[in-house]
Amino acid sequence: MERVVSADVKESVAISLDHVTKIYRGGGGIHELSLDINVGEVFGFLGPNGAGKTTTIRLILDLIRPSAGRISVFGLDARADSVAIRRRLGYLPGELALYERLSARQILTHFAHLRGGLDWSKVQHYVDAFDLDVDRPVRSLSRGNRQKVGLVAAMMGDPEFLVLDEPTSGLDPLVQRRVQEEVRRAAREGRTVLLSSHVLSEVGEMADRVGLIRDGRLIAIEAVAQLQQRSAHLVEARFREPTDFEVFIALPGVTSHSVDGRTLHLEVAGDLNPIVALLARHVLDDLSIREPTLEELFMRFYGAPSE
Amino acid sequence: MYDRSLFEQRRGIIGWVIGMAFFCLVMLAMYPTIHANASFAKLIEAYPEALRKLFDISDYTTGPGYLRTEVFSFMAPLLIAIYAILQGSDFLAGEEERRTIDLLLANPISRRRVVFEKWLALATGTFVLSLVLELLLGLVGPLFLLHLGWRQLTAEVLGTALFALFGGTFALAWGAATGARGSARGVAAAVSVAMYLLSALAQLVTALKSFEWASLWYHALGGDPLTTGFHYWHLGVVALSIGALLAAALLLFDRRDLAT
Repeated sequence: MERVVSADVKESVAISLDHVTKIYRGGGGIHELSLDINVGEVFGFLGPNGAGKTTTIRLILDLIRPSAGRISVFGLDARADSVAIRRRLGYLPGELALYERLSARQILTHFAHLRGGLDWSKVQHYVDAFDLDVDRPVRSLSRGNRQKVGLVAAMMGDPEFLVLDEPTSGLDPLVQRRVQEEVRRAAREGRTVLLSSHVLSEVGEMADRVGLIRDGRLIAIEAVAQLQQRSAHLVEARFREPTDFEVFIALPGVTSHSVDGRTLHLEVAGDLNPIVALLARHVLDDLSIREPTLEELFMRFYGAPSE
Repeated sequence: MYDRSLFEQRRGIIGWVIGMAFFCLVMLAMYPTIHANASFAKLIEAYPEALRKLFDISDYTTGPGYLRTEVFSFMAPLLIAIYAILQGSDFLAGEEERRTIDLLLANPISRRRVVFEKWLALATGTFVLSLVLELLLGLVGPLFLLHLGWRQLTAEVLGTALFALFGGTFALAWGAATGARGSARGVAAAVSVAMYLLSALAQLVTALKSFEWASLWYHALGGDPLTTGFHYWHLGVVALSIGALLAAALLLFDRRDLAT
């Protein structure tokens, strides 16, 4: 397992996973997962569905117990001191389920009360940020609005540690941006964020470091900047006229290519500007530039996908 | 959670109260016809002894006797027990099946506190329903010529409430241990019915008589509190059983993984 120690490691560690293993009878689970997340950092778990991201998060929350290994949050044991930890933590579950008959206001008030009483103004900030209608019963809310309730519940009170499992799931792009803003704001204020996703771009937007999980193992930890540099964009261009592709293939950053009649497929690492500039000088029938899927990323840089 | 559980119970309990009230009023309305009606008494006497013993029909034409048979021998305890079992299974296992437990436990509360507060809400609901039963029979009964001693009525209702709470706590504990709402209901209901049957059949079958002690129905209601008043030791047995189940629920819920 590769471990990259970044240059500016903060003094204190927010959460420490030490050879954590969770074995399920039916298979799956996580194996010997070790990781330190620093205070004030935004850490992203990235991996395909079923990789073990949610399992790891639920272990941290003491919803399930490890088969082996130790988990500590703020220096406290995740199981023995679970209540004390959760007092300083906000959690958004991956599969959010709310009390259907209650309104958002009732749910949030209930949780605020369980947290020992919370000033509603702290809740209101997030209600406004996400534009949530708090007085309608949850069962009448759309999926995106329900997710907003979960986000407010996790973030209200500005907890020291935010654990967000698939935070932007079901949200429209505008609200997704608000979430990103709030996460970055939390980090600026010295709070720690752990988020998990299977969408590379989402994690890329918010995280400082990313842990790649597959089949229950942490296969790499990368600073986001490095990851973005490594991941190539896939360019597909269909030309109106037959064209000499050599000049494209010779561009710096082109790591591989294939030709299909008048269509050119390129993998471009790093800066896209040279290729875009060159493409603009031709007449194109179709053009697509996309970033690789997680699967492609894993395949390219971390070996073949699982059986 | 206590408050929220009560709040969520609100609608259900109003429905149950209305149903209970309706049932009581119907029973009460029939009483004047039966009361001290000689030919009716003769009819009852003609029932085979086994039947009378099984359904606890004796002195049917007196107030206590009528109530004992029509209300307490089966219906009221059953109704309240069903209510308690449904709530008990819903409060814990229901939350886990609906996955709302994840969000609940994101808050700084221990699992034990969750179980305990939910149980409190269950107990409150059960006793409220029982209180309604008592007040209806005690206050409205006389309008239908049915007079009962408050002491005896309370003793019977308390027995009913405790038996129902046992069923509900059983459902809660099973849910705490397994997270399965359906089986919590099924097993709790089966146990409650089995205890009822054991107690009823023990009146007929001598061989079963020596196992009577295993039935909490027997302890709660077997001594005919409607006529004879409080049997503290027996009620204590039921209360202790409830306590033991609650302790088991607290422990079991604490120890296992919650639904993924």
